Amino acid sequence: MRGPVVALLVVFAALLQVTVAPLFPVRGAVPDFVLMSLVGIAAYAGARPAMVAMPLAALFTSFTSDRAPGLLIIAYLPLLPLAFVLAEANLPLSRFVQTMIAGVATGLWARLMLSLAAFAQGAAFGVGDLVFIVILPGMLLDFMLVAMAYLPFRLIGWNAQPVGLQRGGWL
Amino acid sequence: MLIFSRYTWWVAAMIGLALFLTAASQVGVLSPFQSAFLRVVAPVEDVINGIFTPVANILANAGRIDELEEENRALRVENADLTRQMTENEIDRERLAQLEQAFNLTGDTETTRVAANIVHRDASAFAHVLSIDRGSDDGIKVGMNVLSPEGWLVGTVYDVSGSQSFVRLITDSRSKVNAQVLGSETDGAVHGGANRTLSFELVTGDVNVGDTIVTSGLGGNYQANIPIAAVTEVSGTAQDLYRTVKLEPKSRVSTLSTVFVLTSFVPQRLGLESD
Repeated sequence: MRGPVVALLVVFAALLQVTVAPLFPVRGAVPDFVLMSLVGIAAYAGARPAMVAMPLAALFTSFTSDRAPGLLIIAYLPLLPLAFVLAEANLPLSRFVQTMIAGVATGLWARLMLSLAAFAQGAAFGVGDLVFIVILPGMLLDFMLVAMAYLPFRLIGWNAQPVGLQRGGWL
Repeated sequence: MLIFSRYTWWVAAMIGLALFLTAASQVGVLSPFQSAFLRVVAPVEDVINGIFTPVANILANAGRIDELEEENRALRVENADLTRQMTENEIDRERLAQLEQAFNLTGDTETTRVAANIVHRDASAFAHVLSIDRGSDDGIKVGMNVLSPEGWLVGTVYDVSGSQSFVRLITDSRSKVNAQVLGSETDGAVHGGANRTLSFELVTGDVNVGDTIVTSGLGGNYQANIPIAAVTEVSGTAQDLYRTVKLEPKSRVSTLSTVFVLTSFVPQRLGLESD
């Protein structure tokens, strides 16, 4: 049952990304609903569903936005390994803070990758544009969206899951 | 350690999948899957668009009531002037037709357009793309010019499937359009910039705030004399090699729901626009 729900969530996020997200820009950044859905799946369904959902999300988003699917996979790739490294590092961080760091850092990486791809295709911009129009507003948006996506579940008593692979039956 | 190695394998698999999908999309293997996916999700998109577009419009215009009222007043005055000009143009057109007939001249100036609904928008700082519900089945081809309902240039088609096409907007950072100032010889290139801005670059000649910029037709990628945008700011002096000119697009793409594809114009992809 969890598989179809995750797949539907990913499809819905891909549709929101090309219908709703462009309507609410903050400077040059738009909300990344696909990344938020992956963060939510990793946090509440566990690592294994997120490992399957990530390439599906990239593929569906590429279908709706005509972006290269391979580029989107690379853009969202750091989320799970980063969350795992943070979890295993035994840092004095709550699970919410770990999720926040992993989500925002992956968002930063994703926006950087998409901007560099645009640059490679002929877009002309400077480092200042990249930092002040893309990176900083994007990080702010990601921070707000992770908090908005995470805290309601936490308030109703759902706890974020560990991102170790043993939960998915890999060990 | 074993867990980490599982992640390592997954990362490697994802990189391999990324390379495979990149190659597959380049040769068009994914196109049938994309078309099928877009057909299946189209009803859901309509519902989402129906809910959120009015909300976005309200939010975009909130706090601008005074500005909109002022703009409305100015538009009424402009409308009256344009109505007068239209009447004069109609008279001129009739006279031109009579003269062409008298001198046995035939003018092949008829344009045909295909109306299309906007299905998706993909906007980031440097990319501004939308998809429309018309494709090669409707005669759409790569490179065709796309106009707003008012006739302003919106962008060009850069990818086509059977029932859907993708349009790169003029505000996309990768877009360049050979252009000139309406009614003068001053030409240059309209370039999309960061955060969906427009600038008029490599300008040789006089340009003033309020001037209308139109396509020049040079390069063969755009039909000549399509209005693009109005000049909002000119900086630099006459001694400068090139002046910095900022433009404002006349069509608000964020609130558009319909565009027109100029199917009568066959572009010659000669290179200035980078696709």
